[in-house]
Amino acid sequence: MIRVIIPAHLRTLARVEGEVRVEVEGVATQRAVLDALEERYPMLRGTIRDHVTQKRRPFVRFFACERDLSHEAPDARLPDAVIAGTEPFLIVGAIAGG
Amino acid sequence: MATPNEPAAPMTLSNDEVLRYSRHLIMPEVGVEGQQRIKAARVLCVGTGGLGSPLALYLAAAGVGTLGLVDFDVVDYTNLQRQIIHTTGDVGRSKVQSAAEKIAAINPFVQVLRFEAKLTSANAMEIFREFDIIADGTDNFATRYLVNDACVLSGKPNVYASIFRFEGQASVFGAGSGPCYRCLYPEPPPPGSVPSCVEGGVLGVLPGLLGVIQATEVIKLILGAGDSLIGRLLLVDALAMRFREVKISRDPECPVCGANPTVKELIDYEQFCGVRSQESSGAVVQVPEIQPEELKRKLDGGADVFVLDVREPHEYQICNLGGHLIPLGELPQRVHELDRSREIVAHCKGGVRSAKAVAFLQGAGFEKVSSLAGGILAWADKVDSKMPKY
Repeated sequence: MIRVIIPAHLRTLARVEGEVRVEVEGVATQRAVLDALEERYPMLRGTIRDHVTQKRRPFVRFFACERDLSHEAPDARLPDAVIAGTEPFLIVGAIAGG
Repeated sequence: MATPNEPAAPMTLSNDEVLRYSRHLIMPEVGVEGQQRIKAARVLCVGTGGLGSPLALYLAAAGVGTLGLVDFDVVDYTNLQRQIIHTTGDVGRSKVQSAAEKIAAINPFVQVLRFEAKLTSANAMEIFREFDIIADGTDNFATRYLVNDACVLSGKPNVYASIFRFEGQASVFGAGSGPCYRCLYPEPPPPGSVPSCVEGGVLGVLPGLLGVIQATEVIKLILGAGDSLIGRLLLVDALAMRFREVKISRDPECPVCGANPTVKELIDYEQFCGVRSQESSGAVVQVPEIQPEELKRKLDGGADVFVLDVREPHEYQICNLGGHLIPLGELPQRVHELDRSREIVAHCKGGVRSAKAVAFLQGAGFEKVSSLAGGILAWADKVDSKMPKY
């Protein structure tokens, strides 16, 4: 079970509160987690990754274990702590309020 | 270590200042020399709203010698829940004037430079020239990118924070070898895709938390003390009361601070953020609109109009037109509740969500559907002055 934290406005869109937990079969990668997330919450398609290219959108970043994973390969294995569920996979989006 | 800012010349402290700053002076990390640095410092607060209020108040109290305030706005009632530098009596007044008066009342030793103007590509470099450190407390993406680029181009640190609902982000950009805002977010979200605090709300105390973090980082930069947020992004979740820290790096291909920059002067940031197209269409999506007065005439005349409210239930409780409530996010699952033979007018608070709803319904084959221009706020302005505004 992978813990995922998504931006506040996407939680509203997906109608979830707090962390989201997704099951991933096989190797836990960014792509596997995002695929599972979008399958469970189809309204998130296109908000985190581009609809067509499936690339991370430039106003969104991925972090875990204090590290920036945004430029890691989509099929790279996630950190062990994320796979073990002790640390969440953070999807952080730009906000501008002040 | 933070980047120290050397004062132009040592500044002496008067006896009154020694007394005022005594709790600083007895700390070895500040001391007389540090307080003199604070007095010599010139800090620009871009925005005197939610973040700018605690930021400016604390920097003034701490004895920052020169504080610049940039804001073109006036105080309104919806500001008072969080913009604590302004009072009820200030409603309708210039925010810069209101803030300058409070600063003078807190600390008459602070010189306030007022810029009652919108920060633009035309004036940013000239305004920034007067200051050592820039603190970004603005409320929109266009000005965020403008502040970032002007900081990088002028070589000045950008003490950054932003907020939404219960969450905030803070960092120090564009200082030394650290990343800039564009390294983190190379492009802004499409207009309307990320709600602003006006649309999504913000916990009143949240800008207090983040603005004070900004003030802390400003003081540390002035003193050259401690570990600054350069290369680190602080993520604050006030609801969980959790502070997370993540490392962020400079992007070698950053268009403004990278090895081969393509942005060498300030650009048109409203165009960059797609604001112009949003303003010109009145909404993010171009859809048929109906004016509040016309809807009023139709309803009074007994026309068969189905009013669809696509806001959230808690917004419906604040005020409503008696419409059928289906929040925008539930519309795809509940579209069967709508009769496509009837004329449907969708509305939300300001017209953005209802435009999306109309675009969705058109795609689902609805033909007689329009969006209430300006939403229920425009209805309150033009049709029913007793309607509460939020």
